[in-house]
Amino acid sequence: MNDQATLLHEKTSRLHIRRLMNRLILGVVIIISLAVFFVILALLYTIVKKGLPNINIHFLIGPPEEIDAGGGVGPFLWNSIYILVLSLLLSLPIGIGAGIFLAEYAPNNRIMEWVRGAIESLASVPSIVFGLFGYALFVEYFQIGVTILGASITLALLNLPVLARVSEEAITAVPSTWKEASFALGATKAQTIIKTVLPAAKKGILTGVSLVACRAFGESAIILLVGGTSSSGQMWDFHLFSEGATLPVHLWYIQSEALVADAQQIAEKTSALLVLMVLFLSFIVRFPLWLSQRKK
Amino acid sequence: MEKQSPDWTDAMNLLTAHRQSRWTVKYTADRFFRFLCLGSVIFLGAVLGAIVLFVSETGFLVFRDVSLSEFFFSPHWDPEHGKYGAAVFIAGTLYLTLVTLLITTPISICVAVFIAEIAPPWLRQWLRTLLDLLVGIPSIVYGYLGATLLIPWIREHTGAPVGDGFLAAALVLSIMILPTITRITDDALCAVPNEWREANYALGGTTFQMIVRVVLPAAKSGIAAAVILGMARAIGETMAVVMVIGNVAQWGFDLVTPSSVLTSHIVMQILNVDFQSTTNHALYMMALLLLMISISLIMLIRRLRLKGGAS
Amino acid sequence: MKRTTLWKRMAAAVLSSALLIGAAFTTQYRADAAEVSGKIVVAGSTALLPLTQQAAKEFKKHHPKVKIVVSGSSSIAGPQSVAKGVATIGACDWDATRAVGGFPAYKGLKAYKIAKIPFAVIVNKNNAVNNLSVQQIQDIYEGKITNWKQVGGKDEEIVVINRAKGSGTRVNFEDKIMDGHAIKTSGDNYKEVQKSGDMVNAVSSNPNAIGFVDLAYVKGGIKAVSINGVKATTANAASGKYVFYGYGYLLTKGEAKGADKAFINYILSQKFQHGSLKKLKFIPVK
Repeated sequence: MNDQATLLHEKTSRLHIRRLMNRLILGVVIIISLAVFFVILALLYTIVKKGLPNINIHFLIGPPEEIDAGGGVGPFLWNSIYILVLSLLLSLPIGIGAGIFLAEYAPNNRIMEWVRGAIESLASVPSIVFGLFGYALFVEYFQIGVTILGASITLALLNLPVLARVSEEAITAVPSTWKEASFALGATKAQTIIKTVLPAAKKGILTGVSLVACRAFGESAIILLVGGTSSSGQMWDFHLFSEGATLPVHLWYIQSEALVADAQQIAEKTSALLVLMVLFLSFIVRFPLWLSQRKK
Repeated sequence: MEKQSPDWTDAMNLLTAHRQSRWTVKYTADRFFRFLCLGSVIFLGAVLGAIVLFVSETGFLVFRDVSLSEFFFSPHWDPEHGKYGAAVFIAGTLYLTLVTLLITTPISICVAVFIAEIAPPWLRQWLRTLLDLLVGIPSIVYGYLGATLLIPWIREHTGAPVGDGFLAAALVLSIMILPTITRITDDALCAVPNEWREANYALGGTTFQMIVRVVLPAAKSGIAAAVILGMARAIGETMAVVMVIGNVAQWGFDLVTPSSVLTSHIVMQILNVDFQSTTNHALYMMALLLLMISISLIMLIRRLRLKGGAS
Repeated sequence: MKRTTLWKRMAAAVLSSALLIGAAFTTQYRADAAEVSGKIVVAGSTALLPLTQQAAKEFKKHHPKVKIVVSGSSSIAGPQSVAKGVATIGACDWDATRAVGGFPAYKGLKAYKIAKIPFAVIVNKNNAVNNLSVQQIQDIYEGKITNWKQVGGKDEEIVVINRAKGSGTRVNFEDKIMDGHAIKTSGDNYKEVQKSGDMVNAVSSNPNAIGFVDLAYVKGGIKAVSINGVKATTANAASGKYVFYGYGYLLTKGEAKGADKAFINYILSQKFQHGSLKKLKFIPVK
């Protein structure tokens, strides 16, 4: 009797300790996370607060000035979007294709291990090296000068490894039972991948796309070298061989050497605009996913 | 059935032919798709090859003028006086990456666990979007904030005269790679089947036990990938680091002495040197080295992960 | 620069697939480029970028048929791009046809002096020191003077800030102020920054810092110290009383021809020299 009572007592007290531990540690996790998000919000607030109130339509689509205050960033904003879209068009099929191959077709041997390692290392190549590579290729070898085209392709190269790695991870996570079901219905491997695996891995891939798109949007080293520091000065310039300076490059220029009277304000407004654009961008990438989730 | 009318045979033949052609199309498409995917991987390999070739072609020229041991082991970098020792930058890169990962990995995993396991669903989407925002902020904005907010703060609290150094760089980098690690970890956690979580509760496990014993181990590979990608970005990050590290070729292990790493030194100097000079060749060699460091670190971690996965 | 055939083949292989999309545009563009004779490509110094960009903007209005592309990365990129043939005009903060600041002389280029650039030695706005002699600046940068009280300021350690090696401003600083004395490039009170804007940030956010920058950037949290008792003003630099100044150069391969010549002539015209150039706080050379 007595023994049982102590045993029971021991068990309940252990349960108590476990529960306490659980609460304590979860509490710590929550506090750390909230602190992190607080820091992030504070950062964003610092960036946005100074610039946002002064942004107007003229700033968004107006041409830049070198001397007088009141210049806009129109061509740079346009170039940013244009180059981003072009680079995504180039990198999405190849990046996801590579991810599919690694996850679905690649034999599980040493060579593929090396290939995976190589792709991950490619992801760590500093963007300035990509920039120099692009410069050597487009400006020196093909002699097309600093262009939107060169910047887009070089940017696509920067995006590829991350995209490949993230899609591989997302595709591997799809349960094999789904694929087997598809095969049992007589689908070929390609059909299975396109109709079953990719939709199932959609979420992971879109995370990758949004990471890549946001990073590409903020990239400056590559554009500086391959796209140049100026724009053609006209809005809606679709020409692939125009100069391809983007918002981040313009921000870099404004912060480092510009003499224009309101450089400080332009820098603040541009930073705020960049944050807003990134917000907008990650929303657009997520939007289809969000829609389909709502249907369910 | 044995005496089939000619019409019947014809119809059968036609049908088979039709089916066959559909089969051929189906399987040609299948093969073509495989070929496209293979092509993508080969393209990626070719890009890496081209970049390695491009960098090493110029980089190896440095050894015409500088001995191997001087380049790798001498801490004296002073091109004006013919000294091309890159040891400071190499050690600095490894050290900075280590410090950054030490700061950011636990925090990132914490935040990912919070998002994936603890936060209510309506909050999740908002938090994820918030993290994505951080990835997209250009590194120069981080660098600028680091230089104007963080460095005065460090100067005040450590008494260092300048404030630039590994501490500032590691803090800025931590904020920059936190979303990358968190988001990918978050995805890995979400991919763990719900049944496993339910099994834990059914056995009387607490949420904490579930996270530590079930979810995190199950998502191990994804977390490793997240850390690797984060690390890769930290090693390769330039524009922000160059604004807060101080850019002096000297040891900076006390965290607040201005120092330099491979990337920051490359970006600082590469545009300012003559193409034919030994300095330029040395900088390309550093870029190659950077590539080699990240390849070997990544291979090391992959090996650890494979071992961990087997047990 | 010679490239091996292997490298060329490699590049072609990598690019052929990527370029597919742009292929149609490429051929069309090549055809265009053959017809248009007046294309100006300006590369080089970022310090001169505000000037060249403004000039390009005005020049385009007068010569709408000329295509002009202006970009900037670094001073040395100016002469190098022209020598390589990827730019027709190179902007540089020093005369690159002579060997300056550890860089070789670029033979076969012609240098056009387009503007006088006044520089300033800067300290934090709250620093009590308003005047330094050239000797004192040299000693500070050599590491012989390490405390502001030695030059009449507070008892605080001097934080020495320098630009990256190869920066046009640093080349001019070493040429005009240091005069052969080597800068001490180590210590826990020394750091280097990349661009003029970074220099301004570094000095305005550190009360004990000293640095140097184009006079045009001096505003906000920094102030220019007088050198040898002469105030840092454009007037003093124009007259030559103030010693810390340099020149901006445009370089062409051989004598400038066609559109390039027209562009340089436009920059050297009275209208531009005494108009926009002056507004950008450079000093006219004509």
